[in-house]
Amino acid sequence: MGRLNIQVSPTGRDLEGLIINYLKTLIPYQDLSTIYFAIAAVLLPLFACIVNCCLPGKRNKVSGWIATIAILVSCILSISIFAKIWNGHPAHIQQLWFIIGSTQLYAGILLNNLSAILLLLVSVIALPVHIYSIAYMKNDENYDRYFIYLSFFCFSMLALVVVDSMALFYAFWELVGFSSYLLIGFWFTREKAVQANKKAFLMNRIGDVGLLTAIIILFAQYHTFDITQLFGDGGLVSQSTITNGLWISPVGSLPAIWQYVACGGIFLGVAAKSAQFPLHTWLPDAMEGPTSVSALIHAATMVAAGVFLLGRVYPIFNTTELDILAVIGCFTAFMAATIALTQNDLKRILAYSTISQLGFMVMAMGVGAYASSLFHLVTHAFFKCLLFLVAGIVIHQMQHIKEDNDLDIDPQSILYMGGLRKKLPFTFIAAVIGGLALIGLPFTSGYLSKDGILIQAVDWSDNKNILFRLVPIGAIITTWLTAFYVARLIVKVFFGEFKLEQFHPHIKYHISDGGWKYRVPLMLLAVACLFPLFSLNPVLYEHAWVFTGFSSTHLQRINIYHTIVPIGVNILSLFLIYWAWAVYTERKLLIFPQTGLLFHMSYHEWYIDKVYRKVIVRAVMALSRVLSWFDRKVIDGFIHLLSTVTIAISKIAAWFDYNVIDGISRLLTFIVQITGNFVRRFQGGKIQYYLFSMLAIVLALLIYLSV
Amino acid sequence: MITLTDFLIVSAALFCIGLYMIVSKHNAIQILIGIELMLNGAILNLVAFGKFDKINNGGQIFALFAIVLAAATTAVALAIILNVYKKYRTIDPGRINNLKD
Amino acid sequence: MSLAQVLFYVMAFVVVGSALFVASTKNLVRSIFMFFITLFALAGLYVLALADFIAITQIVIYVGGILVLILFAFMLSGKETLNVLQQQKSKFISLSKLPAILLAVLFFVVMVNVITKIDAGNIGWIKQAISTNTEIKPNEEMINNIGINLMTRYLLPFEAISILLMMALVGAAHLSRKERGAV
Repeated sequence: MGRLNIQVSPTGRDLEGLIINYLKTLIPYQDLSTIYFAIAAVLLPLFACIVNCCLPGKRNKVSGWIATIAILVSCILSISIFAKIWNGHPAHIQQLWFIIGSTQLYAGILLNNLSAILLLLVSVIALPVHIYSIAYMKNDENYDRYFIYLSFFCFSMLALVVVDSMALFYAFWELVGFSSYLLIGFWFTREKAVQANKKAFLMNRIGDVGLLTAIIILFAQYHTFDITQLFGDGGLVSQSTITNGLWISPVGSLPAIWQYVACGGIFLGVAAKSAQFPLHTWLPDAMEGPTSVSALIHAATMVAAGVFLLGRVYPIFNTTELDILAVIGCFTAFMAATIALTQNDLKRILAYSTISQLGFMVMAMGVGAYASSLFHLVTHAFFKCLLFLVAGIVIHQMQHIKEDNDLDIDPQSILYMGGLRKKLPFTFIAAVIGGLALIGLPFTSGYLSKDGILIQAVDWSDNKNILFRLVPIGAIITTWLTAFYVARLIVKVFFGEFKLEQFHPHIKYHISDGGWKYRVPLMLLAVACLFPLFSLNPVLYEHAWVFTGFSSTHLQRINIYHTIVPIGVNILSLFLIYWAWAVYTERKLLIFPQTGLLFHMSYHEWYIDKVYRKVIVRAVMALSRVLSWFDRKVIDGFIHLLSTVTIAISKIAAWFDYNVIDGISRLLTFIVQITGNFVRRFQGGKIQYYLFSMLAIVLALLIYLSV
Repeated sequence: MITLTDFLIVSAALFCIGLYMIVSKHNAIQILIGIELMLNGAILNLVAFGKFDKINNGGQIFALFAIVLAAATTAVALAIILNVYKKYRTIDPGRINNLKD
Repeated sequence: MSLAQVLFYVMAFVVVGSALFVASTKNLVRSIFMFFITLFALAGLYVLALADFIAITQIVIYVGGILVLILFAFMLSGKETLNVLQQQKSKFISLSKLPAILLAVLFFVVMVNVITKIDAGNIGWIKQAISTNTEIKPNEEMINNIGINLMTRYLLPFEAISILLMMALVGAAHLSRKERGAV
C-alpha cells in the first residue's frame, strides 16, 4: 500500500475538477479497505450509541449486547488494520473539509504504527470491559444510559487516535473529556460524584485551553493542522529552528516565546488528561464513577491520551523542554507512589498508582525513551485495567455483604477486607498477576516496559549534571514504593483474616468470583499481562515487538548499569514485597507509626488538594465575589439607573400624552359635547322651543335689517 | 283724530302678547287663546287700513275672511286638543312628545 | 281731544290691559273670561275704525262662536283637567318665562320702531285716498258696498272660504267623535 497524501494545488479554484482529479488519483492506486475498516471501527460504537438511544425502556438488556457486539466488530477490524499497518506503510487519506479564504483545511485519517497500536489497544481493552460491564451494571437503574455513554466514549477515543488533523484531534479530545465527565457523574444523585465530575471537567478545561492555544500557535506558524505535515519525518516542525530569539520554520517565523507557549500549552493538555503533577487531583476523585468505567477510561485509555498526544507531537519539544517533562513526570510518579502507600480506599490506591505510572510514561518521553514510553502505555493499559476489574469484583462483593447484612461500612475500604483469596480464588490469581506486572517483576509485561524506561533514564542522566541523576534515582525509588504499596494492597485484601468478620462476627455472606462475564475479561487481560504476548525473551525489553516498532536503534548493552539496574531493582522489590507481607499479615516485624509527618503528608495526598482549595479556589471565589459585587452594584446599578431614568422619562411622556395630547382631543370632545348638549335642547321635541328659536332668529334678522 | 299709527301700535301690542302666550304657556287652550290674540291683532291692522278703501272694501272683507278662518281653526284645534287629552291625559304640548304608535 | 279719541284710548287700554291679564293669569277660567272682554273691546276699536259690520261679525263669531266653543271644550274635558291646570304655581313672572317676555318685548320694540319709521299716515296710496276722497267717512253706509263686493269682486275667495269652513267643521266633528266601541 502506497502512502496516500494528496496535496491538491491550492490555486485550483474549480472544486469539481479538483474532486474528480482527486478521485482519479485515488481509485487506481489505493487499496482503501484499511481506511474503510478504520472508519467502520470508529463509527460502530457511535452507531451502537445512537441505536441504544432509540431503544425503548430504561433497563433494556439489549443495549449492553449491542454495545458489546459493536466493540467486538471494532476490535476485529482493528486487529486486521493493525496487521496491515504495523511496521508496514502508514495509510493516510485526506478529504477537503472546508475553505476559509485561501486556506484549505483537510480532514482525514492517519494510520501509522502509533495510531494502529492505540486503535488496537483501545478496542481490545474496551471489549472485556464491555463484557464485564454487562454483568457489573445489570442491576443498575440506568443500564442503557451507561452503555450509551460507554459507546460514545469508545467512539470518541477511537476517533481521537486515527484523525490526522490537529483541529479534529482537539474536537475528539474534548469529546473524550466530555464522555469522561458523563461517566464520572454517572450516579449523579451522589453528591460526591457530581463534585468529582465537575472537578474533572474543570481541570480538563485548563488542559484543553492549553492544547487549544498550542494548536492555534502551531497553525499561526505553519498554516496547517495536518499532523503528518507538522510532525512527520522531515515535517515542518523538525525543519524549524530557534535562532536569535526567532522561531523560524519553512513557512514563516514567530518570536521564540511562542514556541515555549505552544509547548507549555501542550504540556498543560497532557497534564490535565494524563493527570500529571499540577493537574492530577481530578483522577482520584474520578473514581466515583462505576469501577468498570474507571478501568477503561481512568486507567487504560483516556488517561493515556495525554501520552499519546506527546507521542504525536514529540518532534516539537527541544532538549530543555524534554528535561522539564522528565522532571515533572518523575516527580509525579514519586509523589503519587508515596500517596498510594497510605490510602485505604481500594480504588484510590489504584488511581494514585495510575498517576504514578503515567508519570513514568511522561518521564520516559522526557528522557527520550519514546518507544519505551509507548510500550509502557500499552502494558500498563492491560495490567491496570485488570487490577481495576479485580477491584470492581471485590467492591461488588463487599457491597453485597454490606447490603445483605445492612452494615454501615465503606465497601471500598481495604481496612475491612482480608483473607479473600479463599473466597475469590480466581480474582486472587488475576490480582496477583496484575500486581506483579505493576511492580514490574520479570516474566510479566510490566517488567519489559518499566525496565526499558529505567535503563534509558539512567543512560540519559549518565553524562549530565549531577542534579539530573535525581530523575532515575527517583524513578527507581518509585519502583520500590510501587512494589511496597501493591504488596500492601494485595496482602490486605487477599491474605490474613477477613477483617469485617472480626468487626461483625455474625454476618453471613456468600461471595464468589461471579459468572463467565466476570471471569473471561479477567482471563483475557491476565494473559495480556504476561511476557509472551510482547516478547519471547522475558528479560530483555529491547526484543519486545512493540518496542522495536517504535525504535529503530537497538540499544547496545555495553554499560554496566544495563544489568545492575534491573537486577538491583527487582531484588529489592522482592524484599519489599516480603516485608509488606510480613507487616500486614501481622507478624509485626516492623509496624509503621501512623503519626509521623511523612505519614500525614502521604495520607492527606501531600495536601495538594487542600492547598488548591485554600489558595486557588478561595482566590477564585474571592475574585468572583468581587466581580459579583461589581456586577450587582456597578453594572446592575448602572442598568437600574438607566431603567429608572427611562421609567421617569416614560412617565413624563405618559403624563404629556395623557394631559396634553389626549387633553386636546378631550377638549374637542368636550366642546362637541357641550355644543351637542346645547343644540340638543333645541331638539327636545318641544314645539314651543322650536317656535321660540324661530322667532328669536326672525327677531334677530329684523333687528339686523332695520339697524 | 285717531291716527293709523295708534291702531298699529295697539295691534302690535296685541300681537306681542299673543306671541308671548304661545311661547310660554303650558296649556294648549291658553296657546290657542294666544293665537286668537295674534289673529285679532292682524285683523285690527286690516280694519285700520281698510278705512282708506271705500270702493273695494278689501281690508274689511279680508278681515271677515280672517275671522271666519279663525273660527274654523279654533274648531279644529279644539277637536285636536280633546283627542290629545283623551290619549295622553294632558294638554301640555311640552309633554306630548310621542308619535302615535 | 274729541270724544272719539278718548273712546279710542279707553278701548285701547282695555284691550291691552285685558290681553295682558289673559297672558299673565294662571287661572284658565279667568283668562277665558278676560279674553271675552278683550274681544268686546276690540269690537269697539273696529267701530272706531269705521268698520261696524266687522265689529258685529267679531262679536257674533268670536264671542258667540269661538269663545263659547272654547268654554264648551274646557267644560267637556272634565274635572281633572281643571284640577291639574289650577295646581300650577301662580307666580306673575317666573324665571322660566323670562326669555319669552324678553322676546315679546323685543318684538314689540322692533314693531313700534318699524311703525314709527314708516309713518303710516304718509304712505302713498293712503295720501292718494285722502286726496281723491276715497276714505270712509263716519257718516257713510258701507254694508251695501261690502255685500256687493263680496258677491262680485271677492266671490272666488268667498266660495273658497266657505268650502274651507265646511271642511273644517266636518273635520272637527270627525275628530271629536267618540271612537266606536270606546263607550
